[in-house]
Amino acid sequence: MDNLQKFTSQVRNRLLIVILFSNATLLVAGWACAQLLHLNAQAILLFLTPLSIALTIVLATVLAHHVTQPVKKVWQAVMHIAPDTANVAAPVLDARALGAELVTNLVSHIYQLASVIANVEKSAPSQNNPLGSNFVATAIPLPLIILDKAATVLFANKAMLDYTLRSESEVVGQNLYSVLDMSFGNENTLDKWLENAKANEAVASKTWERVRLNLPNDNTTKQFDLAAYYNRNNPDGLETMLVMFDHTASYSQDDQALSFVALAVHELRTPITLLRGYIEALEEELDGKLDPEMVDFIHKMKASAQGLTAFINNMLNVARVESDQLTLKLHEEKWADIVQTALNDASLRAKVRGIEVTAEIAPDVPTVGADRVAIYEVLLNLIDNAVKYSGTGKEVSLKSYLTKDGMVETTVQDHGVGIPSAVMPNLFEKFYRSHRSRAQVGGTGLGLYMAKAVVEAHGGHIWVRSKEGEGSTFGFTIVPYSKLADEKKTGDNNDISRGAHGWIKNHSLYSR
Amino acid sequence: MDPTVEPKDSMAHRPVSRKILVVEDEHFISELYVRALTKAGYDVTVEVDGEKGYEQAKTNQFDIVLLDLMIPTITGIEVLRRLRGPGSQPLKSKIVITTNLEQREEIRADIESQADAYLVKAEITPRELVEFLNTIK
Repeated sequence: MDNLQKFTSQVRNRLLIVILFSNATLLVAGWACAQLLHLNAQAILLFLTPLSIALTIVLATVLAHHVTQPVKKVWQAVMHIAPDTANVAAPVLDARALGAELVTNLVSHIYQLASVIANVEKSAPSQNNPLGSNFVATAIPLPLIILDKAATVLFANKAMLDYTLRSESEVVGQNLYSVLDMSFGNENTLDKWLENAKANEAVASKTWERVRLNLPNDNTTKQFDLAAYYNRNNPDGLETMLVMFDHTASYSQDDQALSFVALAVHELRTPITLLRGYIEALEEELDGKLDPEMVDFIHKMKASAQGLTAFINNMLNVARVESDQLTLKLHEEKWADIVQTALNDASLRAKVRGIEVTAEIAPDVPTVGADRVAIYEVLLNLIDNAVKYSGTGKEVSLKSYLTKDGMVETTVQDHGVGIPSAVMPNLFEKFYRSHRSRAQVGGTGLGLYMAKAVVEAHGGHIWVRSKEGEGSTFGFTIVPYSKLADEKKTGDNNDISRGAHGWIKNHSLYSR
Repeated sequence: MDPTVEPKDSMAHRPVSRKILVVEDEHFISELYVRALTKAGYDVTVEVDGEKGYEQAKTNQFDIVLLDLMIPTITGIEVLRRLRGPGSQPLKSKIVITTNLEQREEIRADIESQADAYLVKAEITPRELVEFLNTIK
């Protein structure tokens, strides 16, 4: 109240000076006029001066009171709701007062703000909750979790509880991993990252795409991108912060796309299984009874059915790449074995086109870190492409060797029509086919796109060199097993190895 | 198909009358498999649904069980779980999954932990299947 009184008296004093000055001016002017008119100026002055002083004081006090009213009302409103000042009554708003509208508006804003703060405090659930009164953490619509050093949940905002269908007591104080059943696209999971951050970093951050969260409460799965922030020395012990960005709707659409492809793949594979089976049975039953032309027809049927199988796998792999579900398991593999398998499987397709595929693998090529199925399909695609685009060329040659910088490089060279330089930059894009007008070849442009994704997932690099009319050379590198960073190895190599035709425990399908 | 018929051609590594159960609902596929397996000297039994396949496999008289996954009554995955999952009786048979279905990663991991081998039918011909089964001891 003191400040307000002081303010009022300051205003009054200033008004006093202004009014006194103007009165004095009037008096002087009046005195001068009286002199001119030869009136008794002195008597008039003696009478008017005290009167004007009295009037000035009254006027200044009244004006000061009115002018400071708006400030007083606002002050009352603030003091009324301020927590530490008791006994200040709410302002009485008079519609006729000076600046009534402005004051009413300001006062109602003050009360609104006060009620927002009061609600936030009310919804801040527990006493030991470090962020309970933090407006941003509480009100942000993104699910947010704070963890301490032992990955125990210190805080989960309302958005997080709503998103995961949990109550606060089910989450706060619990271990994160026991609360949330999250699965990640690859081995670089949250706990792995956190472990590493704790060991090596003071501050770190990371994001993951397409994290799945299984919600046992209603048997659904949520999909989101996850961002994590780590700060070892956070003064409040808030070591790790997790924020989720929900993408359930769009990601599950991708899943459905994959399951449509999976369904189509299943439907296509059954007739292909039969075609391949009956062609083989026919070949066996007619063995020795057919003239060479008929044998050639049978071979062409076989090769075509095989080509379909390979195409279906490309389709499936592209769908996997697209939905980020191509997971590779890198094992120590003998490179020559994989190359030989791909050569054998592609040989019939080459043979029926009158093309011979030769392979030359340098003896010093070490074992490689590879996903056998995936890299086999890369080889098969490159050999198939070379055969398809060979034109009048009759030879496709494959070479594998160790490069100067210690990578295993494999090249597949044809002597066909080559690739116009204009289309070279787009070769590894999806659905891109080199438009070699004279070359009548099938293909969808999925193969090179898939090959690039797989080679790069292996830590390698794919390239092409071509000259129109002289043929093309495709090459790619992969990493020797010994060079593969430790965390990329799957550890026990006797575990399960996959083959291009499936897998068998502790066994290789490629021995045949 | 009479399993006692002697195969006409002599196979170098023909097993001595190994018993095999083929659980497969696609008649043409089982026809091809039975033909190739019988020729190679296998004693073949065919079942067309999961329930009957499970009942047969449970008798534990087969060296190898070929199990399709998409089959009527109960699925191949359920049959596998009953034969190899927690609480199941020990089974001497090797279980080879034969399917054209693409699995989700987590389902495949389950299958990997319970089956002995996994084959995509479209990727192998009947002869290649026999050659592969001959390597399973």
